[in-house]
Amino acid sequence: MGHASRVTDQVTEITIRPEFEVSALETATDVDVERRLSLFERISNINAIRKLSILLGLVVLWEAYTRIVDVEPLLFPTFSDSAFVLWETLLSGLMLEKIWVTLYVLTLGYVAGVFLAAALLVFAVMSRIGSDFLSTMTAMFQPLPAISLLPLAMLWFGLGVPSLVFVTIHSVLWAVALSTHTGFMSVSETLRMVGRNYGLRGVPYVFMILVPAAFSSILTGLKVGWAFAWRTLIGAELVFGAASGEGGLGWMIFEKGDNLETPYVFAALFTVIIIGLLVENIIFRNVEISTIQKWGMQR
Amino acid sequence: MSDHTNQPYFREEFEGDEIGEAVIGDIERRLSVWERVSNIDAVRKLSVLVTLIVAWELYTRISDINELMFPTFSATGAALFSAVFYEGLLTNVWNSLSLLVMGYGIGIGIAAVLVVFGVWTRFGSDVLTTLTAMLNPLPAIALLPMAMLWFGLGPAAIVFTLLHSIIWPVALNTHAGFMGVSETQRMVGRNYGLKGLPYIYKILIPAAFPSILTGLRIGWAFAWRTLIAAELVFGGQVADTSGQLGAEGANAGGLGWMIFENLMENQTPYVFAGLFAVILVGIILENGFFRAIEDRTIRRWGMQVA
Repeated sequence: MGHASRVTDQVTEITIRPEFEVSALETATDVDVERRLSLFERISNINAIRKLSILLGLVVLWEAYTRIVDVEPLLFPTFSDSAFVLWETLLSGLMLEKIWVTLYVLTLGYVAGVFLAAALLVFAVMSRIGSDFLSTMTAMFQPLPAISLLPLAMLWFGLGVPSLVFVTIHSVLWAVALSTHTGFMSVSETLRMVGRNYGLRGVPYVFMILVPAAFSSILTGLKVGWAFAWRTLIGAELVFGAASGEGGLGWMIFEKGDNLETPYVFAALFTVIIIGLLVENIIFRNVEISTIQKWGMQR
Repeated sequence: MSDHTNQPYFREEFEGDEIGEAVIGDIERRLSVWERVSNIDAVRKLSVLVTLIVAWELYTRISDINELMFPTFSATGAALFSAVFYEGLLTNVWNSLSLLVMGYGIGIGIAAVLVVFGVWTRFGSDVLTTLTAMLNPLPAIALLPMAMLWFGLGPAAIVFTLLHSIIWPVALNTHAGFMGVSETQRMVGRNYGLKGLPYIYKILIPAAFPSILTGLRIGWAFAWRTLIAAELVFGGQVADTSGQLGAEGANAGGLGWMIFENLMENQTPYVFAGLFAVILVGIILENGFFRAIEDRTIRRWGMQVA
């Protein structure tokens, strides 16, 4: 009873605001309801042009800064010097040789890492022991930077390509295995049952049901693996640079940095960026377009 | 067309052989102790770990491999113990972590400024996307030689490299997250009259928190790897020029430096101990720190299942 009266008390305490009328609004004048955009507006609406002009602006800023401030060219070369060196090394084949050495090791490590991951995964899908083994190993090795195994690899395999490949494998294997395993685990029971209904088992079951269904996580794993492998390899070549003299782009960066030939360092950095962009935006992008986007798994 | 429909195929009738009576198996029974124990996840994983360790110990003992190449597990364990308690391994860990935290903090600050700038104006957004697209594929460690030229051999060069490894992934993911915030939520914010910073903190950040957290995680992973690599390069540089860092004493550097130094002195068990320390720090940060943030934010808010 008391409860009900409290409610009615509150209801009666409504304040009533006085009514009011807004004074008449003026008619709007000088408003473009429709007009052709000016040339500048139309041009600046093109994405590529805006981004390119930012890039150009940065380059001009760099060039102007190094020229006007008269900064020591050994510490910070002008853009034109760096670009010229890049052009020259590309023509003379020096840069191509370095790129080849780096990409060769990268491909070797990447492919071997992916194959090892696939073997572990097939094993993990087929038995519970395998699954336990894989999750324990990934939990342990995923947080371990592959580069920290480089000293051991140098001890075991000596200074050379095998230890670089070993480290690259390590950086690819766990990232790919972890992401793919998570993807496999979340494949819907319906799809699994379809597979079992067709009598698929073992390897065909993995490749015809699990891999297509979990392809977006697999691709994520491959991308993360590539990012780690690229970083690890450049880092490993830098460390090698300190210890011996073998190598590709990372070694070139280190060697030229040590010899104070900084335009070469910048030229090598440009090359590293360009290769990274090519792999990410051309190779992985195309794989994405022709698989998960085509299959409607990603918008 | 009509040909097909007019001639339906009739299969002959047949009768299956008599099916044997089904043997009714266990419909319900208590699992044996072995089955119950092996159903516990932790027990299975621990036994995998123990098996690996036993295999390692046996392999190194039986095949009589050179201790300098591959020490036994027990030697590694002893080295880890003595490193922690007598040789100041924790100092190395602290050195690494303090550099990492410094770089991480500054990096996130810079990334935040860039992203705020990118959200406000189209020009800022263009600058941000161009910079991230260009610099994200560049491994931070590749800048270390330049950083050593500019800042000398020391913490400043490492922090500069760390910054580079953190800023771009964090900025990229946060910006992508902001772009993906639904128009409805944006309109709610505008309806409340939010603009500028409050709009970002009250609408965009909570709505885009899963991608921000992903960015922070990737940033941490890259930073940790870069830090260890940078310390290794420093190690090499010092061995190369017999320079300054080594003179400051064994615990002057971080974990990567400790690994490199012990390798050079052929103290392989200590190298393994250093690797264990790296793994432990990684597991603690990833499963302790980031997991706790996830539990308190996106999981509690129902933005992530499981």
